[in-house]
Amino acid sequence: MAMTRLARWAARSPAPVFAAIGPGRQAETERLLARPGLRRAATPRDAAILLVAGDLPGDTAEALSHVHDQLPHPRATLRWQADAPDAIAARIETAWRDICAGERDEDDHLPDEPPNAWKGIGPHGQGGKGMMGGTPYGRPMAMTGTDIRDGLRLDRYTARFGPFLPMLPPGLVLQVTLQGDVICDLDVQAPPLAQAADADAPDLCAARMLRLLGLDRAAHRVMHGQSARALWLRGAVPKRIGRIDGTSARDRLIAWLAGDTVSVAPPDLPALLHGAEWAEAMLILASLPPSALIRAARGVEAA
Amino acid sequence: MTALLTLAVLATLLGGTLFAVALDRAYLPLLALFTRQRVETEAPDRLNRDLAPAWYLALAAIGIAVVPFAPDLALIDSPVGIVIWGSCEALIVVTVFLHGWSPNAPFPLIGAYRYAAIGLPVMLPSMFVLIAAALPAESLSLVAIVDSQREVWNVIRQPLGLPLFMVVALAMTLRGPMDYADAADIATGTSAEDSGAGRAVWQIARLAMLVSVSAIAATVFLGGPLGPVLPGPVWLWLKTGALMALTVWIGNRVARTTPSRMLTILWVVLLPLSFLHLLISGLIAL
Repeated sequence: MAMTRLARWAARSPAPVFAAIGPGRQAETERLLARPGLRRAATPRDAAILLVAGDLPGDTAEALSHVHDQLPHPRATLRWQADAPDAIAARIETAWRDICAGERDEDDHLPDEPPNAWKGIGPHGQGGKGMMGGTPYGRPMAMTGTDIRDGLRLDRYTARFGPFLPMLPPGLVLQVTLQGDVICDLDVQAPPLAQAADADAPDLCAARMLRLLGLDRAAHRVMHGQSARALWLRGAVPKRIGRIDGTSARDRLIAWLAGDTVSVAPPDLPALLHGAEWAEAMLILASLPPSALIRAARGVEAA
Repeated sequence: MTALLTLAVLATLLGGTLFAVALDRAYLPLLALFTRQRVETEAPDRLNRDLAPAWYLALAAIGIAVVPFAPDLALIDSPVGIVIWGSCEALIVVTVFLHGWSPNAPFPLIGAYRYAAIGLPVMLPSMFVLIAAALPAESLSLVAIVDSQREVWNVIRQPLGLPLFMVVALAMTLRGPMDYADAADIATGTSAEDSGAGRAVWQIARLAMLVSVSAIAATVFLGGPLGPVLPGPVWLWLKTGALMALTVWIGNRVARTTPSRMLTILWVVLLPLSFLHLLISGLIAL
């Protein structure tokens, strides 16, 4: 099929990639996505290529299918096993060109229908009474509960987050109950996937926090061995959050930016995140080296 | 004359948006988005999903329509030009909220509520700063505000005004330290479910707003079309372009703190500061 001019221009833009990261592949994948010809998509909706790095455990298969089906057409899935970074980067770029030329696409893995049958009464199937209660399509409606901060009765929203959300460690699945932005209940449903020691590299850890602070370019610079060159870096991380054995999230960011490896005792994740706001919780999680996170979540599971 | 001015305003908005795309180095990624499918979420609010980017673009166009392109010459030469811009600012908060509301998904909705919470305390300093600039002119008209800067620009007479207004500019264009609607911790928030042309149009509207807010800042603080040798519109374009580049630079360089901390900073520091600014500017203008 002949490429239109628009498609040719599109093919010259960086390939938008959403990564599903398997055990031991976090460091490699993060470094791969910082390459010039590739672009890290923050959401599957912004991606054309789903990169599956390593061997994902069987219990993540359904989640992976959901992510796959969220990519807009045309799209491609690439599995990254033993290829060298140069080879996989070249495969991604070829796939992106094929996608732009309209020569490559994939169908949905799952049927496009609600996860549960319509239940209840009323035009929206919500059951319950008036605008409250019920379980439309198997999803419980948000009901009010006492706010954990000031006792206001606010809607509680419960949902599962993970295992492939880019701001969470790969593999971690959290069931979170939110009131507005505040985490008032939290359950670790799956621990992060095991990662090698290279995932604790200071530049990678610093880059994860910088991305949350809205500093994509600084994250890029840090991963390429340059200084972050950003203003109000330390000050933007609230002083009190993520305290574990005397160091806070801010202290760990400072250490990473100075090029030091950080090791902390495995924290009690639910206690650390309970009562935090979503933005704070994501900063706290990013401020923990992957090795500590993995041990922490394993501890919760064993208990 | 009106037709010519309309053309000039639209050309400025278009040219400025193209410049903004270049500043963000986003030409090819934006073009690529137009080749992608626009995915529909489950039970979206279709009307508001389509209208949100249209409102955003329209507000950018209305904002730049009140800007004088030469001394005594604006497309909408309103005696209350500042108030027209102020209402655009307030409606941007509504627009961004609708953009987050319409996909019927958690992250966009969190982004929408966050932006509404941040939007109000950003709006208040903005009003104080703009009213302070109107004091020496003794008028709410942007033409009169430009005229009042013939001797000395407001950026010198009221040194706190432009820095405070830059905070507003960052919030109005969803950028860097003030981008609470489309932040990374909620997977680009109100845009998290946008794909294809829908995503591209929202980004373009955001860049068009950068042109408008910079043109307003250039008019209110840098004398707008005033300047030697070169004709008025050229001075306006140069000043607008410089402020756009400054906004993009700040957006790329300054870290974004957590929403609750920014709320404290806005209410406890920036709001009293803007009130002090208004008081001092008022005393000087007496």
